[in-house]
Amino acid sequence: MTLAYRALFRLYPRDHRTCFGAEMQSVFEEAAQEHRSRGRAAYLRFVLAEYAGLVSGAGTAWAVKLAGRGYLHDQHLARPAAVALPGEVQEAQDRLTANLTGLLHAISHHQFLKARVYAAEEQKAREELRLLREKYNIAESGDLV
Amino acid sequence: MSLASQPRHGYALIKDIETLSNHRVRLSTGTLYGALRRLLDDLWIERFEQEDTSRDKQAYRLTAEGRRQLQLELERLKQLTRVGIARLRMNEA
Repeated sequence: MTLAYRALFRLYPRDHRTCFGAEMQSVFEEAAQEHRSRGRAAYLRFVLAEYAGLVSGAGTAWAVKLAGRGYLHDQHLARPAAVALPGEVQEAQDRLTANLTGLLHAISHHQFLKARVYAAEEQKAREELRLLREKYNIAESGDLV
Repeated sequence: MSLASQPRHGYALIKDIETLSNHRVRLSTGTLYGALRRLLDDLWIERFEQEDTSRDKQAYRLTAEGRRQLQLELERLKQLTRVGIARLRMNEA
């Protein structure tokens, strides 16, 4: 179950994973231990609720990130400076967001064939974005290096 | 509101919110940390290392601004409750 949790957690933006990853997993494990002792049905309900929470939480985290609403002012992460991205980078980023949103929507509606198509497109868009970032020398946070 | 009386770490928040809601609400970790992230962003809470636990745990506490916002929200709810009760009584009369 922890492996599945980790796999779904990868849907979150990297900054969220860096900031909360270990903590969220530790809380999940603590809660899982408690629900395991309540019987199989309670544990299954708990796990399904956790997975649904991760998928919807990841969608929200991406929406917040891509809308440019920075977060996490504390000492762990600094707010990235706002920079104007070159047009083709912005377009690639939008394509990635659209595919990721489609992927999350398909998973949350149990449309797994559709999800696979979105996953493939999302991978393609991510690679394209990576190449463009290299071309323009842009760090992942969006800051020009 | 769960942080009003004392700082808490993630799991303690889930348990406390469950108790506060008479076991009607059980937050998933995804939902909890989404909310914590928004509150951190608004500077209504802050994160710190809790030293008095056996394990290293990040805990959360209200900031002065967070406490002020909580008071405003509780006042708003109190006012809403008053209006709701008054309207019910008006209908009964």
